[in-house]
Amino acid sequence: MKNLKLKSNTLIIGIGNSGRRDDGLGWAFVNEIQSRMPDDFDYEWRYQLQVEDSELICNYERVIFVDATTEELHSGFSFSKCELAEHYYFSSHAQNPETVVYLAATLYDVQPDAYMMAICGVEWELQEGLSEAAITHLNKAISHFFEVIQDFSSRTG
Amino acid sequence: MSRKITIDPVTRVEGHGRVTIHLDEYGQVKDSFFHIVEFRGFERFIQGHPYWEAPVLVQRLCGICPVSHHLAAAKAIDQIVGIDPADLSPTATLLRRLMHYAQVFQSHALHFFYLASPDLLFGMDAPVEKRNIVAVAVENRELAIKGITMRKFGQEVIKAVAGKKIHGILAVPGGVHNSLTLEERDYFLDGKEIENVDTMIDWTLEMVSFIHDYHLKNKKLLDEFAYFPSGHLGMVNAEGGMELYHGGLRARDANGKTILNDVNTDDYEQYFAEATAQWSYMKFPYLKHIGRENGWNRVGPIARMNVCDFIPTPLAEEARKAYFAFAGEKMVNGTMFSHWARLIEMLHCAEEMKVLLHDPQLLGNDLERKGIARTKGIGIIEAPRGTLTHHYEVDDKGMITRCNLIVSTTHNNDAMNHAVKWVADHVISRKGTITESMLNQVEVPIRAYDPCLSCATQALGKMPLKAELYDYTGKLIDEKFKA
Repeated sequence: MKNLKLKSNTLIIGIGNSGRRDDGLGWAFVNEIQSRMPDDFDYEWRYQLQVEDSELICNYERVIFVDATTEELHSGFSFSKCELAEHYYFSSHAQNPETVVYLAATLYDVQPDAYMMAICGVEWELQEGLSEAAITHLNKAISHFFEVIQDFSSRTG
Repeated sequence: MSRKITIDPVTRVEGHGRVTIHLDEYGQVKDSFFHIVEFRGFERFIQGHPYWEAPVLVQRLCGICPVSHHLAAAKAIDQIVGIDPADLSPTATLLRRLMHYAQVFQSHALHFFYLASPDLLFGMDAPVEKRNIVAVAVENRELAIKGITMRKFGQEVIKAVAGKKIHGILAVPGGVHNSLTLEERDYFLDGKEIENVDTMIDWTLEMVSFIHDYHLKNKKLLDEFAYFPSGHLGMVNAEGGMELYHGGLRARDANGKTILNDVNTDDYEQYFAEATAQWSYMKFPYLKHIGRENGWNRVGPIARMNVCDFIPTPLAEEARKAYFAFAGEKMVNGTMFSHWARLIEMLHCAEEMKVLLHDPQLLGNDLERKGIARTKGIGIIEAPRGTLTHHYEVDDKGMITRCNLIVSTTHNNDAMNHAVKWVADHVISRKGTITESMLNQVEVPIRAYDPCLSCATQALGKMPLKAELYDYTGKLIDEKFKA
């Protein structure tokens, strides 16, 4: 069965495009966590979030969105609660995490515990491979993530 | 009078749809253009790559219709390894068809529910903040949930056969690389974990009924809005029925006269040429024997309805008959009928998926075949937005030396320009300024063709729309922009 069924109560969604340098940070994060903990979480990769992702996240108690950011953050990343918000993009081919959470609550009366991991990127041209700075930020974000999931485990347990 | 329209270099990489409307000294529309100023480059990028990479590389043209590009390229690359469509194994053919019907189903669902439904539910004059899927979700929860579930069904089928919903891989040269397991097949039939294919058929029937009633209530508007005669192009099977994966190319003029008679897709170059315009990167395909002026054709749902003699699934055929009975015409030339036609195609795809899922050969293991290598391959399919052509030529080492893509939206280039002209003439002429409502009315008929500007120009980026209004001196007097 090609990953059609759920195996975890936590979903990690990497957002981005590995063909545009550091925009691949979200996918790189997911790839790394999956390689270390293949059975602990469910994983998804997205170029863009879409409306139907609101239905997907309803199946989970906890959702972590991971994306690159152009912001300059002292720690190289930020990890924060993702609160629902009603935003909308004209093309409708792309939604932001807050809107996906909003749609889940509006359509399905479900609001998973949602978080946003934003990792600082610096290079965005058409090329594969993360910049050195992005790799440093990615490693910091991963380290922090492992601390965070200890906290999740203790709360769940 | 000379007027200069500047193409901003930034938009060449960001992606950009722009409408310009030119007025004469009396405020009457003199001309209008729907410009696509994205850079077209994929045909060049792919040269020098080995042929077997093409079905994977071309998926990167688009995040919405990668399956269509994957399958069109796969059909072409099959020929490079000496395999014509009739030579594929039954299992490979069924799996590719299943993936294709799922793609058309989910793409049409995305368009109808996410893009078109706000116009239909709230009207063309609705305030901007209501013209989106979030507003639909708030005010029409059941409809939104059905739309999401229907799109999900198609995507799950794609994921089952290709491994991923977007940019998955099913086809390999001469076949497919895996088939479905019994468990995966039953996932879509038993309704235990997701809504099953029978529910998809039922819900699509509801939507077909909804759009029928909507046309009934808004008959004059929908019959007349952006109506213009044109040729129509699509694929048909050997009996003249609607065909989405492989068949002959048929075109009919606005009155129903056949102008391209079920020709072999391998011969497309004999019949089609592409014109260019200085004001757009998107080309203008046309039938050579009719000429540039009148040889262009609409493609996609309206066109496919017009060129086929019947639909080879019972519920969709019944819906097709009702559609033509309502229109009261042998050929439907009204732009706004595209939503109805699109829903009938969704019904056809759902019926086809059900048939395929019950076919035991879908689970077979005869997956790949090889023939005598050739240097040219042509793959044409009916993608959600219309006829899609992939043409590759390779050298003796199998490296691609030529790539020609005629993307569905490109065929609709003239149609979208005619639709914009209609709105300019009927809605904007002699008004002086552009209101939000007018701007949306310019967008509505463009949207009806479900254009994929990134595909059509093989560009990167977003699809914002800018509308500009010029007076008779060439001075920009109003503009509206949507990011």
